[in-house]
Amino acid sequence: MKKQRRKIQIALLFAALLFAIHPAGALLASQATSYTYTLDDNDDFVRTQDAYLPERTITDLGLKTPQDLFVDKANMLYIADSGNRRIVKYDIYEGQVAAVLSHDGFTNPKGIFVTEEGDIYVADAGAKTVFRFSEDFALKEAFEKPDTPLFSDTNFEPNKIAVDKSGNMYIIGEGVYSGVIQLSHTGDFLGYFTVNKSKVNFKEALQRLIFSREQLENMLDVVPTTFSNVFLDGQGIVYTTTMGDFRNAVKKHNTSGGNMFKDTVYSISANIADIYVDAQGIIYSCDTSGMVDVHSPSGELIFSFGSNQSNMDVAGLYSSLPSVAVDVDGNVWTVDGDKGYLTSFRPTDYAQMVYEAMALYEQGLYEESMDKWNEVLRLNQMSVLAHDGVGKAYFHAGLYAEAMEHFKVAGNRSYYSEAFWEVRNEKIQKVLPVAFILVVVLFIAMKVISLLDRKKRRIKHAKEAFSQQIAKLPVLRDLQLAKKISRSPSNMYYEIRRHRMGSVWGATAIYAIFFVVYMLYQTKKGFIYQYVAVEDMDIGGIVVGFFVLLLLFIFCNWLVTSITDGDGTLAQVYMIPAYGSLPLLVMLALITVCSYGMTYNESFLLTIMLIVGAVWSIILIFLGFLTVHDYSGKETVKSIILTVIFMIIAAVMVLIVMIMCEDLYEFLYTIGQEVLRNVWNQ
Amino acid sequence: MSGTSKKKKIIAGVLLASLLLGISTVAYAKTYLPTGRDTKLPPDKVTYDIVKLDAYQLLYETDTMRYYYREDRDIIAIEDKRSGYVWKTGADVAFSADLNAAVNAAATPEEKAAVAEPKEASMNSTYVGIANSLVTVEYYESDTIKNISSASKDGVSSQLVTLNDNPATRRLDVDFSAINLQMKVYITFLEDSIRYEIPYEEITGEGKKMLASVLLTPFLGASGGEAAYWDSETGAYGETEKKYMAPGYVFVPDGCGGLIRFADNAVSFTEYIGDVYGPDLSTETYYTSSLNDAVPLKNPVMPVFGIAHGDSQAAFVAYAESGAEYMEIIVRPDENKKVKYTWGYPRFEYNLSYFQVYNKQGAGYFSMMAEPQHADVSMTYTFLEGDGSDGKSFAADYTGMAAAYRAHLIEQGILEPIGGVGEGQDIPLRLDFIMADAKSGLLGNEQVVVTTVDGVDEILSAITQGGIKNVNAGLIGWQKNGETLTRPDKVKYSGKIGSSGAFRDLLAKYEKQGIDISYSREMATINREMTGYYNTAAKHVNTWYVEVDESMILPQNVPVATFGRATPRKVAAWTKTLADKLKKTSSSITLDGISNILTGTYERDGVDFSITEAIALYQDTLAGIHSDLKLNLVNPNMYLWKYTDRYLQMPVGTSQYVFETDTVPFLQLVLHGTMEMYAPYSNFSFYAQSDILKMIDYNMSPSFILSEEPSYYLADTVSSDLYSTEFAQYEALIDTIYGTVNAVLSNVSGFEWTDRTVLMDGVILNTYKKGQETRYVVINYTDNQISWQGNEIGGLSAEVISSGEGVR
Repeated sequence: MKKQRRKIQIALLFAALLFAIHPAGALLASQATSYTYTLDDNDDFVRTQDAYLPERTITDLGLKTPQDLFVDKANMLYIADSGNRRIVKYDIYEGQVAAVLSHDGFTNPKGIFVTEEGDIYVADAGAKTVFRFSEDFALKEAFEKPDTPLFSDTNFEPNKIAVDKSGNMYIIGEGVYSGVIQLSHTGDFLGYFTVNKSKVNFKEALQRLIFSREQLENMLDVVPTTFSNVFLDGQGIVYTTTMGDFRNAVKKHNTSGGNMFKDTVYSISANIADIYVDAQGIIYSCDTSGMVDVHSPSGELIFSFGSNQSNMDVAGLYSSLPSVAVDVDGNVWTVDGDKGYLTSFRPTDYAQMVYEAMALYEQGLYEESMDKWNEVLRLNQMSVLAHDGVGKAYFHAGLYAEAMEHFKVAGNRSYYSEAFWEVRNEKIQKVLPVAFILVVVLFIAMKVISLLDRKKRRIKHAKEAFSQQIAKLPVLRDLQLAKKISRSPSNMYYEIRRHRMGSVWGATAIYAIFFVVYMLYQTKKGFIYQYVAVEDMDIGGIVVGFFVLLLLFIFCNWLVTSITDGDGTLAQVYMIPAYGSLPLLVMLALITVCSYGMTYNESFLLTIMLIVGAVWSIILIFLGFLTVHDYSGKETVKSIILTVIFMIIAAVMVLIVMIMCEDLYEFLYTIGQEVLRNVWNQ
Repeated sequence: MSGTSKKKKIIAGVLLASLLLGISTVAYAKTYLPTGRDTKLPPDKVTYDIVKLDAYQLLYETDTMRYYYREDRDIIAIEDKRSGYVWKTGADVAFSADLNAAVNAAATPEEKAAVAEPKEASMNSTYVGIANSLVTVEYYESDTIKNISSASKDGVSSQLVTLNDNPATRRLDVDFSAINLQMKVYITFLEDSIRYEIPYEEITGEGKKMLASVLLTPFLGASGGEAAYWDSETGAYGETEKKYMAPGYVFVPDGCGGLIRFADNAVSFTEYIGDVYGPDLSTETYYTSSLNDAVPLKNPVMPVFGIAHGDSQAAFVAYAESGAEYMEIIVRPDENKKVKYTWGYPRFEYNLSYFQVYNKQGAGYFSMMAEPQHADVSMTYTFLEGDGSDGKSFAADYTGMAAAYRAHLIEQGILEPIGGVGEGQDIPLRLDFIMADAKSGLLGNEQVVVTTVDGVDEILSAITQGGIKNVNAGLIGWQKNGETLTRPDKVKYSGKIGSSGAFRDLLAKYEKQGIDISYSREMATINREMTGYYNTAAKHVNTWYVEVDESMILPQNVPVATFGRATPRKVAAWTKTLADKLKKTSSSITLDGISNILTGTYERDGVDFSITEAIALYQDTLAGIHSDLKLNLVNPNMYLWKYTDRYLQMPVGTSQYVFETDTVPFLQLVLHGTMEMYAPYSNFSFYAQSDILKMIDYNMSPSFILSEEPSYYLADTVSSDLYSTEFAQYEALIDTIYGTVNAVLSNVSGFEWTDRTVLMDGVILNTYKKGQETRYVVINYTDNQISWQGNEIGGLSAEVISSGEGVR
C-alpha cells in the first residue's frame, strides 16, 4: 500500500507534466485511457490487462455538479443533477434523455435510489427531506426529520439513500457521525443501522495522556470515520462506504449491521465516495478523485481503473468523481462532478471472463470455473486472481500437484500448504514402508558391526583418530570448540578467558558461516515459509544491517566493559558471540532445510526450533560475557543494557554526522554551481 | 438551428444515403450507438451564399482559386472557383470600440445601419485581434504569456509587399512595435494551395528573446460564434444571437487520426494540444517527469491537420514542411475559454520557461532560454472541394485530406508505393519474441529468460506448419541480461538464450524459407544500471540529466524504475554500431526509440544538439542502414517514413478527448501500400472481434508478442506489462485472428485504398481500386445482419464485394 500513497503524492506534484512522456513499455497503443491495476501476491498494486475501456461520453446534458447515479431495471440512468435541482432520466439504449424530474421542493438533491417497483427516492440535503416519487414523477411522500426525541439533536440533511423491499430507508446524513440512519417506510426513526467505531491511533492516545484540558479541547474531535454512501443490492444486502481509510472502506452488512467481510478489503484510496453492486454481487466503488474499484462478492479487489487528471477532458480521467453505477449490461457509468459529463465503460472480454469464472466457482461448478479461469490466464498469465481460481479448482478436483503450482504463482500460502500436505501425504504413504525397512536394516547392520568390532576396536580407533585429525583443521577445530561450549559453556569460556582456546580467525570463520546460513535462512526457505521473495528484499540492507549491528555490539560491549572493570579483551569480546552462536546456527540451517518439507500444520515445530536455538545461544553468550569479564549475573545484565544504550547513541551520532556531511556536500555543491553560473554568465 | 430540425435533417441524410448506397438492416436491430472510437456519418451539408468581398482586393488568380486581401484586418480570402466557397484566414470581425465609434459618428439611422456590422459577442479586443490575424505571437512578460496579433488594435503595423514583381509571391512585414519584434511572413499562392514561410533569421528585434510562439491564421475555418445585430427599429444592437455554425470538423493527427466536430457545447472544455513528434523532454518545464496511472496521450507522428465544412463540400489540409518538430496542433472546441467558436491552428514554439534547479533537493527558480529554438516555419494549406468522384481532385473530407497529404509525401519522395504486390497475396503476420529481461536477485540482478533461440525455432515451425507463410519476426531482449540493463549497441550473447552461432543458424534457416527474423532494440531510453550518464545522457536546458520516473507503472521490486534519454549523437552512433555488427547475419533490423523519441541536449552555454539536428542525424543514420537492411520501425515519426519498410505498433485510436467525436484511419490512409502496416499486439486488449474488424477496416496486419515460457516469470521485471505471451496460449488465437483478417485483406492486396465511407452507424465501406477493377470491403461493427447492394453481411463481420458480387 506504500505505493498507493506515494502514487497520489506524485500525481499531485506532476499533474501538469504527466502526459509529456513516452513510456518505455510496449503498450503505447492501448485503447484505454487509464491503466487497470490489481493486487499482486504481496497485496501491492500492479498494472494488469485492461479491464474496462471508455465507451460513451455524453457531454450535452448540461449537468451542473451532479452528485449521484442510479440505473433501474429498465436500464434507465437517473442522475441527481444537484446544481440544476433536478433528476435527469437518461435512456441508455436510446442514447437520449427520457424525462426530467423537477420539483419545487428540491434545493440540493444529492442522492437517488429507485426501487424494484419504480418508486424514486431523492435525498435532498438542502431541503432536509427525502422525497418519494412514483414512476411517473408524482410526489407520493416527503419525509422530513423524524420527530422522535431520540433524533432530536441530530442533523437531518440526507445526502445518500437506499431503500429495501419493505420501504425502510437507509440514509447517510450530512454531519451525522452516529451511523447510517434507518427510517421505516412511514418515516419513523428506527435507529442507526450500522456504526463505525472511532479509532484512536498511537499519537492521539499519547496526546490524550499528556495534553492539558485546553490543548485537548483545541484538538479536533475524534469522531468515528463517516459513512460516505450506502447501497442495497437485489438481495436486500446493505453495503456502505466509509471515508478516511483505504482499508475496509467498503463494507457488506448482515441484517444486524455487522461487516460480512472477514479479510481486509483494500481500496485504491481513502476517499471512497460511492458504491454500486450488480446482480452477480460484484461491488463497484469510486473514489472522489477519479478511480473506480471493483471488488468480488467476498471483498477481494479485482480491478482498479480511472485516474484523476484535473481539467484534461479525456474520457475516463476525472476532475472529480462523485458517483458510479452499473447498467444491466455490465457497463460502468460515471459522472465527472466538476465538468458534468457522463462516461461509460465497457468491460473487456478479459473482465467478463473473470466475472464468469468467479460466478461459476461461487456456484460450486469447479470444473467449469477451471476452464474459465484458464481462459482468463490465456489473456493474463500474471493474474493472481486467476492463478488462485485455477488452483482452487484443481484443489477441489483433487489435482494437488497442479494446484500447488498455481497457488505458488498466486502467493496463496495457506492453500499451497494444504495442497502440499496432500501431496506429501501421498508420498509418505508410498515411501514409508521402504524407509521403515531401510531404517531397521541399518540399525541391525550397525549393531552387528559394533558387536564384531568389540574385540579389536579397529573401527572405533579409526573413528577417534579421524576426530583428532579433524580437531587440528582450522575451521573444524573452532566448530568443535563451539560444540563443546554449547555443552559446558562456563568451562570452555574460562579456557577462552585464559587464552588457552579460541582464536580471532576461528571466530571470524564462524561468523562467516553464520552469515551464509543466515542469508540462506532469509532467502532460501521453502515457499510456504519464505514470506518475502528475494527480488522483494533489500539484500544490501540485510547484509549491512547484519555486520553493522554485530560489530557495533562487539565494539560497544568492549567499551562498556573496559570502563566497568571487565577482564575481557577486544579479541575475547569478539569471540564470545561467535562461539556461542552454534545452537542458533544449527537451528537456522535445520529450519531452512525443514521448511521444504513442512506445511503450516507443523509451523509450531519450526517456531520451537527457532526459540530453542535463539535462547540457547543467548544463554551461551550471556555466560560467555559473565565468565570472560569475570562478572556477576547482575553485572553482566547491566553491561549488556549499557551496551545497547551505547549502540543507540553511536547509531544516532553516526546518523547526525552523515546528515551533516550530506548538508556540507550540498552546500559546497550549490556554491560551486552558483560560481560556475556566474563565471559563465559573464 | 433548433434541436429537432437538426435531428430531422440527420435522419433525412441517413435515409438518403441509405437509398443511394442500397444499405438496409435485416430484421429487428438493437440501436448501434457510435462512440468516439467509431467514425460517424458525415456532417450535414453546409449552406453558404456568395460572399461579398468588397473590402478586399484581388491579389492573384489561378485556374481554381482567387486570392484576395483585406489590408485593415490582415485577412486573406481564398475563393474556390470550383464551388464558390470562400475561406478567410481570419474571422473578419470588427473591434467593438470601432463599431461604437462608427455608429456614433453616423448621422442618420440609415447610415448607422450601414456601418453597424454585427458585433462579436464573448470576445474582447485581444480575441478579435487574434480572430482576424494572419499571425499571432505569444510572448513572455514577467513570467506570464501574453499575445499580440498582426491584426491587433494597437502596437502593431503590417505591410504586404510583392516580391520579384510576381503577384503569386508576397511578403507580409509585421512590426510588433509594442514588444519590439519584427517578422517577415513569405506568402506564396499556388494552384490550389497557399504557403507561409517565416524564416527564423528574419525575425528580428529585442522582443525575439521573449518570443514564446507563433500562431498562423488561427481562425481559418473556425465555426460557430455569437454576435449582436443592429436593430434599426430600436437604433441599437439587439440581444446576442448564435451565428450560423457551419457543420463540419477539425481533423487532428491524434494517434491514427481524430475528428473534432463543430458543436454547440454545453461544457467548457480544455483544448486539444497535439505536440508533433512528441514532447522534447530537454525543453519541458521540469527536467524530471513521471508516469502515472493515466495512459500517456498519443503523439502526432505527422505535422498535418485539416478542417472540413459540410459533407464533401469544402475543406483544407495543412501541413508543415519545415519546423514541424517545434509545432503543436491546437484545437479549441466551442466554449473553451468561453469563446463560442471551434478553432484549430498550428503553434510553433520558440522560447520557453523552465525551472532551473540548483541543488539536489530540487530548489530553484524559473528561467528562460538564452536563445529561442530555431524554428523555420513553412506551412502549406491545400484547399479541397467536392466528393472526389471526378477522380481528379481530392474529396473535401478526411479521406481527401489523407490523399492530398499522401500525394504530397509521394511527390517529395518520402513515400513510395510498393510495387509488385500480387493480387490475393497473403497479408504478413508479425511475431515479436520477448527473450529475456532482468530482475533483482540475491547477488545483483538476475537474468530471466522466457524464450530461447530453440524456442523461437519451435514456435516459428509450428506457425509455418500451420499454413501461415508470410511471417516476419523480431527478437526483443536477445542480448545477455535482456534489454533493460544492456546498452543498445552491445552485441553480447548469453548461453541461456542462445549463442551467437545459434542466432546465426536460426536467422539463416528461416531466411531460406523467406521468413525475416530481425534483432529488435530500443535505442533512446537508458538507465543508470545500463550505462554511465556522462557524455551519454541527454541534458535538460537546466543542464540536469533528463529523467522519467516510471515507478508508478512498474512493480516495486524491478531493478530499475528511473529512465533517462540518450543524446541524439549516442542514439545515432549506437544504432549504426549495432546495425554494422548485425548486418552480417540479418537482413533487417527492428528499432524503437530512435523511431519516435526526439530529445535534444543542452549545455551551460545553450543548445548542444537540437532536435532539428537530431532529425537530420537520424535520417542520415537510417538512410545508411537502409541500404543494407530492411527497417522495421516502431511507430515512426514522419521524417523517418522514407526509410520504413514495416510500420510496427501502428496507433488504432486517439487519446480519447471527450470532444473528439470520431476516430479515423488517417495515418493508415496516408501510408497504405507504401510500407507494411501492423496493428498493436493482439495480446493486450486488441483481441476482441471488434478489434479484428478494426484491423480489416484500417487495413493493418496482425501482430503478436510471444514467449516460450509463461509470462509470469517476467512479473518482477520491467517487462511486467507483458501480461500474457506464452505461445501455447496463443497458437489458436493467432490462427483465428490472422485467418479472419487475411481472408478479407488478401483480396485487396496490391489494390489502392481510395475511399472510406460510413454507410450507417457502425457500418463502414472501404473502396479499393486497381486499374479498372473496384473492390469493396464492408465492415459491420454492429450486432445486426445488414444488407448492402444485395449482399448480406452478418453482425460483427466483414466481407469483400467485387462488382456487386461476393468474392467469398
